[in-house]
Amino acid sequence: MSNADRFSVMEKGFDLPQAMAEADRCLLCHDPPCSKGCPAETDPGTFIRKLRLRNVTGAIRTIKTNNPLGGACGVLCPTPRLCEKECSATGISSPVQIGKIQRALIEHSWKTGSPVVEKAQSRPEKVAVVGSGPAGLACAAELARQGFAVTVFEERAEPGGVIRYGVPAYRFDADFLKHELAGIESLGVKFVCGTRIEGARGAEKLLSEGFKAVFLAPGLWGAERIPGGEKTKGVFTSVEFLAALRDGGIRELGDRIEGKSVAVIGGGSVAMDCVQSAIKLGAQDAFLIYRRSFSQMPAEEDERVAALRLGAHFLPLSQPVRYVTDSQGRLQGIALVRTRLGAEDSSGRRSPSEIKGSEWTLPVDAAIEAIGNTVDSADWSGAVKVDRKGLILTDARTGKTSAKTVFAGGDIVRGPGLVVEAVQDGKIAARAIREALS
Amino acid sequence: MATKSKIDLSVSFCGVTFRNPFLLSSSPVSNSAEMVERAYEKGWGGVCFKTLNSDRIPIVHPSPRMAPYDYEGSRLVGLQNVEQISDRPLKDNLADFLYLKKKYPDRPIIASIMGFSNEEWGWLAKVAEDHGADMLELNFSCPHMTVEGSGHKVGQAFHLLEKFTATVKKSVKIPVLAKMTPNITDMTEPAIFAKKGGADGISAVNTFRAISGIGLDDLVPKPNVFGVGAMSGYSGPAIKPIALHFIAEMAQCAELDLPLSAMGGVETWVDALEYLLVGATTVQVTTGIIHYGYRIVEDMIEGITDYMASRGITSMADLIGKSLPHLKSTDNFDLKRQGVAQYDLERCVGCGQCFIVCRDAGGQALEWDAEKRRPKVDDDKCLSCMICSFICPVPDMITYAEKPAGWARRHTPIKDPSLTRQVKVAPFPGA
Repeated sequence: MSNADRFSVMEKGFDLPQAMAEADRCLLCHDPPCSKGCPAETDPGTFIRKLRLRNVTGAIRTIKTNNPLGGACGVLCPTPRLCEKECSATGISSPVQIGKIQRALIEHSWKTGSPVVEKAQSRPEKVAVVGSGPAGLACAAELARQGFAVTVFEERAEPGGVIRYGVPAYRFDADFLKHELAGIESLGVKFVCGTRIEGARGAEKLLSEGFKAVFLAPGLWGAERIPGGEKTKGVFTSVEFLAALRDGGIRELGDRIEGKSVAVIGGGSVAMDCVQSAIKLGAQDAFLIYRRSFSQMPAEEDERVAALRLGAHFLPLSQPVRYVTDSQGRLQGIALVRTRLGAEDSSGRRSPSEIKGSEWTLPVDAAIEAIGNTVDSADWSGAVKVDRKGLILTDARTGKTSAKTVFAGGDIVRGPGLVVEAVQDGKIAARAIREALS
Repeated sequence: MATKSKIDLSVSFCGVTFRNPFLLSSSPVSNSAEMVERAYEKGWGGVCFKTLNSDRIPIVHPSPRMAPYDYEGSRLVGLQNVEQISDRPLKDNLADFLYLKKKYPDRPIIASIMGFSNEEWGWLAKVAEDHGADMLELNFSCPHMTVEGSGHKVGQAFHLLEKFTATVKKSVKIPVLAKMTPNITDMTEPAIFAKKGGADGISAVNTFRAISGIGLDDLVPKPNVFGVGAMSGYSGPAIKPIALHFIAEMAQCAELDLPLSAMGGVETWVDALEYLLVGATTVQVTTGIIHYGYRIVEDMIEGITDYMASRGITSMADLIGKSLPHLKSTDNFDLKRQGVAQYDLERCVGCGQCFIVCRDAGGQALEWDAEKRRPKVDDDKCLSCMICSFICPVPDMITYAEKPAGWARRHTPIKDPSLTRQVKVAPFPGA
């Protein structure tokens, strides 16, 4: 298997009999805490009960109706801290693996093929969705199911947003996404790719073109930077790196990684994706640099452990000071200082402080900054009110922005969040849009 | 594909219309209007209310009154109970009938009754009819009655069954079902007696007399009612295959030719559908509800609707009895066609259970490759008993495959062929 191939497919999930065996462990709670634990109200308590009672089509219908990206969420959700967290079966042995059951049911639906989601009668109103990531797709699917004529505008060549360009294919592959998109398209959603809707004028233009409402969900495609990173050759942002893995840049990138020494800076889920991707691309040594402790990393525990298992060298309590370059500005190494944890900061976490005189240089050939996504150059401020980071301000219950019939959701509102949270934003806005147009 | 809106689950049973064929059976789950109302809200099509009594004999339930039968990791594969007929005053039950009929006029009440004398049967029938029962079910089948002339003792004494049915029929205008006990050999026999008595339909099966387990410390069979166990009614998924055969047998009986209400181990739409396919018009449930609650009807309705949609069927009439033409006696088998178990060894995980069962209970058609930890199949010895596929943990790894015409299975070898010379037996005359 070539390094590139390792990216192309996900690990196999449960097949239906395995999912049924796992569902047999479900205690069929009277008031399923798993259902309360799902940010997108996918209702695992119901779909697992349906599976248990051999109502397989009904189980798929429950997922698809509640969550048009139920498959993606089954794969990508940090289930141990969501639905599975309060699972009553924990009191017997271990939580039911809800995500795996959910994924298996959706994959099973690809085989059976019958449309399980009922669509309401068509309505004349057109709605525009900006961005085809999880929030945009969920909003589009929900509106289309209600009968609206929905068009999704996507800047990049293919739809999917962060679940196409922001996660490595070994976690969520193109084939799975294709099936999720097919389900949404079958509801009548139209996609217009390669079209960037830019700023205030863009949103207004859509409204003037006959769209009765607009849902803004462009995501966060800018990146926080470490000073000097921008002009150093061999330093990438996580956004550039992960997108290159998906849009064909993988082979070129592989040359800069394979057999080389690579550093990833950051402690979140994206950093774990980057460091694992670097190892899979053949990096000889892949370091993960984080200024706080291992236990303070925002990445999920299973992601951290997976990165360690794969061979990442974790350097916690290490603060980058500057990039070390040669005369041509090519990266030679990263100057780091050791940190120690002091008093709690405002977030309740003990904050790191530099240990004087501890500076040393880690020689690396490439570095990937994974320290946070930000708004890119699109400036919505003319159309809608934004905060000082450029995030769109909305009413949390409806997704309404300051502009009439303009709604927003996903990362552009909440900052970097989970796929399942973006799905819920899309659903909430869809409901509000339906109300606004009725 | 039929659109779901066109699919109609309603059935006409003995002239009474049910919105769907799924009913509560006469049991703890249909004990009061408060319970039945909750069941209706979940979607049940009707109720066979817990057996009324005339208050002549006070009813006291033994305590405890049930015991489970578990198998490996599965709970409540079977359920044993020594519960009696309703212990509520007759007036309370009749008041609950009135409540249900007023609030849910389109959901039929089948009143289950049990008399201890001819007069009592007739009296109870009339009282139930007068308080809104749409149909009666005569309980000839409670398996833990000890009084002669009651419960399954009636179901086993065919002339009594006929007599009581006739008495009830004379007392009321509403349709009458006779509920059969499975604690007999051939159910068509008592069912025909019920028909002679005037029964409009048959419901079956009541519970099977059984012992679900024995306490190994106190040696008391379960449920242990303060040191005493008793053979009593056993129900649940464990008895479904046997109950299914009783229903099919009655459905195939031309002389009987009565509509059937089936029960026995129904938990899912698949179970219910199987009863419909062998000729039942309605399906009753208790143990499934004892296990999961009334909510299971939601999945029965959704499951059967999706099944019908996927096959382009819109009416229950296109399901009821549709398996019967394929159900024949064993002399109808085409014995010329033979096959073998076929292995997809790519998926094998190497547990070797197939090897053990084939060696010890099958045709010794497998060898065990200890190096690779995989079975090696000798097709010509395979009996096609398929037991290997029943215990294989990998779904569909072992499947049945027909062999071409002319293929012959190798005979089971003789251990010491030299001994055949010593076998002294003349052929059976005429063989």
